[in-house]
Amino acid sequence: MLGHTRVTIRDGGPADAVGGVVPRWVALPESVEEISVVLGACADAGLAVTPAGARTKLGWAAPPERVDVLLDLSAMHEVLEHVAGDLVVRVQAGIPLARLAEVLAGAGQELALDVPFPEATIGGTLAAPSPGPRAYRYGNARDLLIGVTVVLADGTIARAGGKVVKNVAGYDLGKLFTGSYGTLGVIAEATFRLHPLPADRRWLTFECEGWEDAGALLRSQLEPSAVEIDHPAEGLSMVAALFEGSAARDRAEAAREVLGGGELRADPPSWWGRPPGSPLASLRCRVAPHVPEGVSVRGSLATGVYLASGATDLDAWRSRLPGDARLVGLAGEFTGDRWGPIPSLPLTRRVKERFDPDRRMSPGRLAGGV
Amino acid sequence: MTVFDRLEAVFPPDRVITDPVRLRTYECDGLTYHRATPMVVVLPETAEEVAAVVRACAEFGVPFVARGSGTGLSGGALPRSDGVLIVTSRMRRILSVDLDRRQAVVEPGVTNLAITEAVRDRGYYYAPDPSSQQICSIGGNVAENSGGAHCLKYGFTVNHVQALEIVTPDGEIVEISEDDFGYDLLGAFVGSEGTLGIATKITVRLMRAPESVTTLLAAFETIEAGGQAVSSIVGAGILPAAIEMMDALAIEAAEAAVACGYPADAGAVLIVELDGPAPEVESQLAEVIAICVATGSFEQRVAASADERAKIWKGRKSAFAAVGRISPAYIVQDGVVPRTCLGEVLAGIDALQDEFGIRVANVFHAGDGNLHPLVLFDDTAPGEGERAEVVSGRILDLCILHGGSITGEHGVGVDKARYMPRMFTDADLDTMQRVRCAFDPGGRSNPGKVFPTPRLCGEVPRVRKGSPGEIF
Amino acid sequence: MDPELIKDCVHCGFCLPTCPTYVLWGEEMDSPRGRIHLMAQHNEGVEMSPEMAGHFDACLGCMACVTACPSGVQYDRLIEHTRPVVEREHTREPRDRAVRALVFALFPYPRRLRLVKPFTRLNRRLAPFLERVHPTLGALAELTPPRSRTRPLPALVRARGRRRARVGLLTGCVQGAFFPDVNRATARVLALEGCDVVIPRGQGCCGALSLHSGYDARRFAKKTIETFEKAGVGTVVVNAAGCGSSMKDYADVLADDPDWRLRASRLKVRDLAEYLVELGPVAERHPLPMTVAYHDACHLAHAQGVRAQPRELLGEIPDLKVREISESAICCGSAGTYNLFQPAPARELGERKAARVEETGADLLVSANPGCTMQITTAMRRLGRPPIPVAHTAQVLDASLRGLGTVR
Repeated sequence: MLGHTRVTIRDGGPADAVGGVVPRWVALPESVEEISVVLGACADAGLAVTPAGARTKLGWAAPPERVDVLLDLSAMHEVLEHVAGDLVVRVQAGIPLARLAEVLAGAGQELALDVPFPEATIGGTLAAPSPGPRAYRYGNARDLLIGVTVVLADGTIARAGGKVVKNVAGYDLGKLFTGSYGTLGVIAEATFRLHPLPADRRWLTFECEGWEDAGALLRSQLEPSAVEIDHPAEGLSMVAALFEGSAARDRAEAAREVLGGGELRADPPSWWGRPPGSPLASLRCRVAPHVPEGVSVRGSLATGVYLASGATDLDAWRSRLPGDARLVGLAGEFTGDRWGPIPSLPLTRRVKERFDPDRRMSPGRLAGGV
Repeated sequence: MTVFDRLEAVFPPDRVITDPVRLRTYECDGLTYHRATPMVVVLPETAEEVAAVVRACAEFGVPFVARGSGTGLSGGALPRSDGVLIVTSRMRRILSVDLDRRQAVVEPGVTNLAITEAVRDRGYYYAPDPSSQQICSIGGNVAENSGGAHCLKYGFTVNHVQALEIVTPDGEIVEISEDDFGYDLLGAFVGSEGTLGIATKITVRLMRAPESVTTLLAAFETIEAGGQAVSSIVGAGILPAAIEMMDALAIEAAEAAVACGYPADAGAVLIVELDGPAPEVESQLAEVIAICVATGSFEQRVAASADERAKIWKGRKSAFAAVGRISPAYIVQDGVVPRTCLGEVLAGIDALQDEFGIRVANVFHAGDGNLHPLVLFDDTAPGEGERAEVVSGRILDLCILHGGSITGEHGVGVDKARYMPRMFTDADLDTMQRVRCAFDPGGRSNPGKVFPTPRLCGEVPRVRKGSPGEIF
Repeated sequence: MDPELIKDCVHCGFCLPTCPTYVLWGEEMDSPRGRIHLMAQHNEGVEMSPEMAGHFDACLGCMACVTACPSGVQYDRLIEHTRPVVEREHTREPRDRAVRALVFALFPYPRRLRLVKPFTRLNRRLAPFLERVHPTLGALAELTPPRSRTRPLPALVRARGRRRARVGLLTGCVQGAFFPDVNRATARVLALEGCDVVIPRGQGCCGALSLHSGYDARRFAKKTIETFEKAGVGTVVVNAAGCGSSMKDYADVLADDPDWRLRASRLKVRDLAEYLVELGPVAERHPLPMTVAYHDACHLAHAQGVRAQPRELLGEIPDLKVREISESAICCGSAGTYNLFQPAPARELGERKAARVEETGADLLVSANPGCTMQITTAMRRLGRPPIPVAHTAQVLDASLRGLGTVR
């Protein structure tokens, strides 16, 4: 099988299923060139391909219409280049974030991305981004990404960006591929800007009934790195704010003054940055959202990006949210429209057609059959 | 029926410019080296009007170029003599400000600074601050993904735009938002230099003003010593809002222009701005000053008031234009190198000065390795302009050699399209071209910019790596 | 249009946001950068078309761009050199020519101005009719301020207390005819600060109106220099921004004649606020419990760079609060004769400025130029707002120095 490519190939099994679709083969490339060879061969044979990393979010979004080859990037887990003085790191897409964090911590640095699953890979974090608490301060994966190597459906290897933090030469393919769920091609390597590890971290937590407005904290000049809420289906909600820096403790205490109470702690609450359960939906809402009974929501009061669990009838919930809010079913069974309105869908389709005219890259994983 | 008839049917006469003398005033943007008189200029006031022009262009197969305030430095808004120039300078309403959502929605002709001015007294601001912020338009910022001195800490336009309403090259009005599930079309559009369409409504993130802002001016005898200070500051885990450096020649120019009062005998000055909660800023300032002294700074000034801070920045922000005072002509270059290569690259620029007998003034965002060498020449001296052009190009080669970029914030435009193949392979450029073709299959939106002689959208290259035939 | 001066412009566009016509229309050719481009085109041989002339005429000459320019482009000189070229090469419509002739036959002549003053009340009622005849006539009628009593000033006002200086005072055409109280206040303030104030009789126009419109100002300049030479003063204090800025340019205006150029450069010209700050305060400041908004006259702030001094003087008055007007760098649209020859944009700018002034919530508007004062109060009247009381910096200082407790 794929012998001439010299890429490791094995038969697919139920454990390799993507949203219930079992691939015929699993390919385990070890370099960008090997990815290119596999994709080129798949192009010739008309095979459909879905890339995968640690598979933590392989069940998110819609199941693909077909998968012939699961492209498993777990063998590509190297740090390719880390120049501490430049605060830049270049990695292979299959490296787990936890492992990268260990390497960077050695130099007193970090990739300021919080992911719900520490074993998640860089590639998966880009292709299927998940919100993290500190996105408020540092941005999301797309904001920290400065360069990318992708392999297209026909085997073309393309690079964009570079390894400098400031660069506006050419289109930012890295951003385009962010959120692409494997439908445009394969993210093979990525370069990120890093941040120095903060001298200290403190959390301020307080309990509240229902939905809490973090306005007072966000209007203050105390600069929390994150303001998260855990709004369970039953019982009290908890808000937690993170302060980072050498004066983190003083600022957290000042925040307690602003709020008139709360508990200071050196460690995050257990729910911090973890998804609330299943079925899982993504909610983006910049004002206090209506939360239906039996639904739990976790996420950032600062950015309005949340994960919700327990809601199956998304249409019903959507009708109670503001018009510019977005509710999308990520994982599990849903009734009604999984996606909700996506005004830019026609453009998305046209991009897909240009990158994958034969619809072989994870076809149908995104809205509108993309 | 021509495109003129169509435009005159849509616009009142005072918003369609056809007089040749008037048209010529639009022949260039901030980069005067490239000039072309547009066939016609229109001044739309709404997205519908922009869409109407773009549809007229599609109907008659005419290219179009968007222009905001015309301050770009890469010729991104250079008109087409066979095309329509769509000027957004009359689309300058701030449509809404919502401080609870920390958002403002503005039209593309609104100036960068006007956004901050609209919310400053309520304690908020818009973070990206290109040096031309008092006049550059937010629409232009979106096209160029503009940065500014403070992008070291706060990022670029793309990190602060949350949604766009765009007119596609087909003339449709489409909304793209960071909230949309799927491809980051917003991220791809920002910085596409007008080649994917025209932004007609921009939703930007507003930030709470920091509690404390402190600006330090540190003078060094040599630019190498200043560079060492920058490395040490970053190495100490400090992320200032900005770290800027100017060399002796740039200081001389700024002094002549705005009497900024920098230490006269400095070989280099470093401007370090720290912002954030007061206790953080205080401790970082002490550390930064100690580092500067340790690396050989002979004078440090800390701006105690907003006025003093403005005075320190005035020299830096006016430096480009100020060079006009010490040289009859000059080229503003924009390249990026990894910060750790700054020293080597500056030495390389020195060598180029000696080799070609051309002076180069250096102004740069030292924190992120973004160089702005100002290549000085006398346009009346025979051959000097050509030599300056060579030096300017060689500087970019130096940047590429060290793993950097040919542009950090000015954009590729018309000026650097020819350098793109030095930084990217054909496959890279062809892949970018697929994005272009998805948005603009007719190739009418700002053609001739960013990419050197692109492929037509019909001919998509097929790369086959695997051998043909039976493979399983 | 000196090509060397044109070359200074690097096309950066920093001037655009401060240019009133760019603020109004957003068009390149009605910005300083665009106008400089037009000048370059003209130098290349492009003829002075009505379109080109129109863009030069639309320039208010407020010089805000000069302040904003980081490259030191001398737009003030460029536009002053351009205006005579427009007059020479561009033939205006007969109606426009007639009206221009009327304005230039009236304004630079204080005596003629005083003659028309009794008709000002009638003028305002006639404004709609005059407007139909020619927009300039309508604007002219609308602008004329209500009648005020004119008493001649003495030829010499002696210093109170120790004499510290001896200065001349320019009375100005519009200031003298329509705002005589400002001149009286100016003389009193100077005297209270220890100056002998010489006020030569028979002063004519300083030439500002002509200079700023492209007409020959040399005759006016020479006469003014002569007047003050005869009066034996080395320093002339001016309280009208437009006059001060043109008098400071005399050496340039008379550059062709070395003898006159020398005489011009010997005459020290100072704006009142500039002079008082140089002199330093001695007289006691009495409290004025009120809030004022200070308006930067273009010919003071941009042409003469006098911005800090009036604020400093007002700031020294106990109990007086000074509010800034937003968009302070943008011209009110008065700009010498601009509101007469370009009434439509002038009106728009005036109303814009009036709205900004109103936003300050001040009790009193302080401005150092009679043109601005007329322009802003007229705009307020037109907007149907109660016009804010207006005073010159000199009148505020006068009220404080004399302990009146309020202005007027």
